[in-house]
Amino acid sequence: VNDGTVVQFLMIAIAAGTPLVLAATGEIVSQRSGVLNLGLEGIMLLGAATAFWTASASGSAWLGLAVGAASGVVLAALVGLMAISLRANQIVVGIAIVILGSGIASYLGEAGPMLTQREPGGQFEPLLSSGAADLPLIGPILFGQDVLVYLSWLFVAGASWYLFRTRAGLSLRAVGEDPATADARGIAVARTRWVHVLAGGAAAGVAGASLPLALFGSWSDNLSSGSGWIAFAIVIFAVWRPWRALVAAYLFGALTSIGFNLQLLDIPVPVALLTALPYLMTLVALIVSSVAAGRLGAPAALGEPFWRERR
Amino acid sequence: MSATDTTPTTDATAPAVARRPRFALAVEPRPHAALGTRVATIAACLLVALAGGALLLAVSGYAPLDVYADIVETSFGSRQAFSQTLVVTTPLILTSLAAAVAYRVRLYTVGADGQLVIGAICASGVALALGDDLGSLATIALSLVAGVAGGALWASIAAVPRAYLGTNEIISTLMLNFVALNLMTYLVLGSRSFWRDPVSAQPIGRQVPETALLPPFFDQADIGILLVVAVAVGVWLLMQRTRWGYAVRVAGDSRRAAVYAGIDVRRTIVAVLCLSGALAGLAGAIQVTNVTQALDPDALNPGLGIGYAGIVVATLARLSLLGTVPVALLIGALLSAGPGLQLLGVPSAVVTVLQGLILLLVAGGHFFLSYRVRRVRPTVSGGAS
Repeated sequence: VNDGTVVQFLMIAIAAGTPLVLAATGEIVSQRSGVLNLGLEGIMLLGAATAFWTASASGSAWLGLAVGAASGVVLAALVGLMAISLRANQIVVGIAIVILGSGIASYLGEAGPMLTQREPGGQFEPLLSSGAADLPLIGPILFGQDVLVYLSWLFVAGASWYLFRTRAGLSLRAVGEDPATADARGIAVARTRWVHVLAGGAAAGVAGASLPLALFGSWSDNLSSGSGWIAFAIVIFAVWRPWRALVAAYLFGALTSIGFNLQLLDIPVPVALLTALPYLMTLVALIVSSVAAGRLGAPAALGEPFWRERR
Repeated sequence: MSATDTTPTTDATAPAVARRPRFALAVEPRPHAALGTRVATIAACLLVALAGGALLLAVSGYAPLDVYADIVETSFGSRQAFSQTLVVTTPLILTSLAAAVAYRVRLYTVGADGQLVIGAICASGVALALGDDLGSLATIALSLVAGVAGGALWASIAAVPRAYLGTNEIISTLMLNFVALNLMTYLVLGSRSFWRDPVSAQPIGRQVPETALLPPFFDQADIGILLVVAVAVGVWLLMQRTRWGYAVRVAGDSRRAAVYAGIDVRRTIVAVLCLSGALAGLAGAIQVTNVTQALDPDALNPGLGIGYAGIVVATLARLSLLGTVPVALLIGALLSAGPGLQLLGVPSAVVTVLQGLILLLVAGGHFFLSYRVRRVRPTVSGGAS
């Protein structure tokens, strides 16, 4: 194992972890306001399909990213309408969003002109290809990534600062912990929840867009293969804290990277078993974290609709 | 009790001078929705879902009414088409029951697809091992029992941590789906296992013996559909007519009341989730011995969504156990139309889109059954009563 392998391993770990970072951080923001958006997988799939289509048609990766984010907002608005305004069961709504989002994405893939036959258009390339990126070891890892990796760092830092260092963040957390008290203090509970659910949806849409535009370079049906659910699990391990979500997402990225690199090195490990690894680890980590913490750290009113007249 | 509840963007307590709403909506609890209201609400949800699907079809250049006519034609249009719908409905009734028994106790499992795969692996394993050694009845019985046991055991991996540690069952059952799928892929595509055809150059599953096939019922449908309806009645009897079922219902209504009544809530949770897994496992067993007749990773792929569709059916049936049977026929017709649509050049995923819309609208429509929304004239203070 030489330096090249190590660099490649870490680069893939970060690249594969980035969609998880984006989706999980957005979900933390949404859940901190008390709304469980279980639909991440569907939002990511729709974001991936619309973003790839747009980037392919226009040649602009940024336009694709914007359309991916917008489709995330649209699906999140459905979550808001059902879960906030109509007080529906948030778990059932989330499952519905997964089915709907993946259905529309597959539909776009099948409808002519087929997505799989489209040429990839705009792509996110490594930001620096020389200069600092030529430094040994840390060069490519820190400076040779695509712009979405740096955006995800900014997003995590921004979300953490917003949640814990601003007045708006305090209000948001109050709404998630005790909406009745927040309401009595004059905070508009429904409006706060709407804003943050939409923000979380946009982040999940960007996470989905990053799959064809940065990670894979192409589109295929069901390309997120459970990343949305893993991002949801990461929120739990990360105890609803953005920086911890970043670390957890890179650990899962590393699992994907192990599988990928073992194949490259021609080490005979069955592909199917390697593919199962991240899911198995999510399961194990979920069980371990419930031994350690139970529901510790979850917003107290998570998943509970708020009824002003039912106090 | 009645009070104002406006849309989220308008604040009811805002000064009336600044922003006086043209009208306001009052939301009142409705203890019991009349049958007519319930039927109307469900019908409205289905209509809006169909309209949403029609919009998608129209925007992408298909004629929505023609596509809907094609769906009805390919699933009910002929004797043969109807028998194909019954074939799809058979596992769907089981996955709907699997969702309904768990959701009634507020255990939100999404694991039916994985349990179905494990049920298929176990059932085909037993059928292959028995070969032609035993009579048909014994082979069928043993392979179905193996599927049931496999599904229940696979569910227990999520059920035990859920009951004793509070591990989120949504995520754990979902992760197990991916593990099960990859296990099946490994058995057929990734190794020379017992399940793989030893002769064929292509990696395909080994054909199960004919003794494992259920007797035919009508056209393509076998007696599996009758068996499954009997299972639905059995599950209904178990939940509604036995002591154990009563304990489960108490635990579903209130965990605290159950503890006071001396019910072991943790064991109840494990039992309900395993029952749910057993039902999905049976679906896999019937599917592998009668429909695919070999362990086939493509045909048994959870992506086809019999597990998710079960959640749609259970929710649409409002978690009624016997109600899953007719509703499964409806959604089964939709599912079975998918491949036919593809042949007609229509994206088959429209079937998935319609299911998503139905589930979303039914979840939201519940609101109109529990609450009455009335238009009221706003008073000067901006509030209303």
